[in-house]
Amino acid sequence: MTLNLFYFLSFLAVLSALMVVFSKNPVYSVLYLIITFFTIAGHYILLDAQFLAVVHVIVYAGAIMVLFLYVIMLLNLNRESEPHKSNILKFAAVICAGLLLVVLVGSLKGTEAIVQQSGKAGIGYVKTLGEVMFKEFLLPFEITSILLLAAMVGAVMLGKSEKTNDTI
Amino acid sequence: MNRSDLYSLTPLLILSSAAILNFFSISIKRNHKVIFAITVLSLIGDFIFLTSYSLYHQQHIDPLLVVDGFGIFNIGLILLTTLVVALMSYAYFEQREERKEEYYILLILAALGACIMVISKHFVSFFLGLEVLSVSLYSLIAYLRTRERSDEAGIKYLILAAFSSAFLLFGMSLIYATTGKMDFGGIGYYLTTTQDIPLIMMAGLGMLIVGAGFKLGVVPFHMWTPDVYEGAPTPVTAFIATVSKGGMIALLVRFFNAINGYQYESFTNLFTVLSIASMFVGNILALRQTNLKRILAYSSISHIGYLLVAFLSGGSMGAQATTFYLVAYFITTLGAFGIIATLSDQHRDAELIDDYRGLLWRRPLTAVAFSAMLLSLAGIPLTAGFIAKFYVITAGIGTQHWLLVFCLVVNSVIGLYYYIKIIAVMFDQKLQIKSAKELHPLVYVISSVTIAVLAVFLFWLGVSPEGMLSLIDDVI
Repeated sequence: MTLNLFYFLSFLAVLSALMVVFSKNPVYSVLYLIITFFTIAGHYILLDAQFLAVVHVIVYAGAIMVLFLYVIMLLNLNRESEPHKSNILKFAAVICAGLLLVVLVGSLKGTEAIVQQSGKAGIGYVKTLGEVMFKEFLLPFEITSILLLAAMVGAVMLGKSEKTNDTI
Repeated sequence: MNRSDLYSLTPLLILSSAAILNFFSISIKRNHKVIFAITVLSLIGDFIFLTSYSLYHQQHIDPLLVVDGFGIFNIGLILLTTLVVALMSYAYFEQREERKEEYYILLILAALGACIMVISKHFVSFFLGLEVLSVSLYSLIAYLRTRERSDEAGIKYLILAAFSSAFLLFGMSLIYATTGKMDFGGIGYYLTTTQDIPLIMMAGLGMLIVGAGFKLGVVPFHMWTPDVYEGAPTPVTAFIATVSKGGMIALLVRFFNAINGYQYESFTNLFTVLSIASMFVGNILALRQTNLKRILAYSSISHIGYLLVAFLSGGSMGAQATTFYLVAYFITTLGAFGIIATLSDQHRDAELIDDYRGLLWRRPLTAVAFSAMLLSLAGIPLTAGFIAKFYVITAGIGTQHWLLVFCLVVNSVIGLYYYIKIIAVMFDQKLQIKSAKELHPLVYVISSVTIAVLAVFLFWLGVSPEGMLSLIDDVI
């Protein structure tokens, strides 16, 4: 059952990833990318990493995709305005991607042994993570909140327009 | 987390409460004076609390932090530096029309990040502290948005700091991949069990040094320093030059002592190259500058080079020399930037050398204090800079780093040229007519008193450094 599900999800993931590249309309590409992210999240669930799956959906499919869509909307990309790509460019892109593939395959080849041993039960559950985070790593968790606070203060301060200053 | 843990963490708690108190005060009413008072009082209170610890206090808050004498000393240094920066900020921001209140919140948070960094003994707390510091600095650097170069400086720092953080993280993960540990002690223990450092770990440590080098502004990674120094508001520049760099040095000392990195020739060679390059490039590039903030930026690059000489000596002598050099460098840099801040007017900072032409005849006391700061940077006797440099050279000779010591001496001579040039300009008789709108003189009292105190410290450390030395001796 799990194996069938895995094959189904993998097929879907590869198919939608290919569609991301091949579809002419950038909005369609982004939507296919969302499907890819969901199928990858499904893989995480199959690997018993529920927290990772949820975070993946929230961060990638949620936040980052919205950002992508906004950028596409702002740039007003469509088939007519797409610049013509020269053959050299395509050639270079293929070589780069091929090299990346070689690196990834090469680095993943040796990992089988490591994956075997690190199978602590329930390591990807939200509960396990929560226990570690709120017991052993409570202090860094709090420090992270300060980090976000500093980022928020800075962003609001820099983003606020000068004129509304007087009304506050 | 038990009671004694909390007791050891109280300085951090006070800082974060001060930030929150500032929030509430802004939400009720924006008042520069109130915020300033809260900030200064909480920093002073925090420092007084810190003095209640014994110097031999040692509290491990596993697995992340260790509050020991060295950490307490560095926290004290950071708090006092932040206090001085806050004091000189008041007059600087009072004459500007922009919002001034958030500045103090970010300043406190940045100090908090640096404090976390100097007491961390684990990659997680190290990285978090560094990020709290950097994220606060991004917005502090771009704080005066209406000014010409502040955006450029802010974005430059944002991109380069993010880039260096990526290097740090990658380095940490490579080290974790080999050792399975993220605490400094565990990594040190792993290294004692192996003969050679594995290649992956070597790469990880190298990336760690790249990340740290960016923050310190040592030579191959120094490109951001002059631009950011120039674009940031002067008090913030003082903060970057002192707290941000000093915190990183303190952390490096702790890390290298924990893993006993001095025994590996590859690291000492690497740091030797970094140090020599920083000294020469910093000093030579400073020679042709006409912008005072840029001169101080290049001089800070070379000073980090000098510091690395002490750092490389290793052992307790090296750590002592490093710490003493940090103290002297902090005092001097704060004084120099403090004077730039007081002379700045509403529209621009007093950053061109021409702004200082004939300063001695217009404001004799300021000019004298500034000369003292510059002489201390150059390392002239009777100032703290001289004693600090003396100790660095002693540490270098003690461990037979002849090449480094030789370069240090040569560079001190090169550096003297541009420091003396500024002093000569101040003595120039040609008077300039300057019609800046002056603030109420009381505003300047705070800055003047701060600079006077710094100058007194400068001479006191230069004439009788025994007290400070024995204090440093105790904490290491």
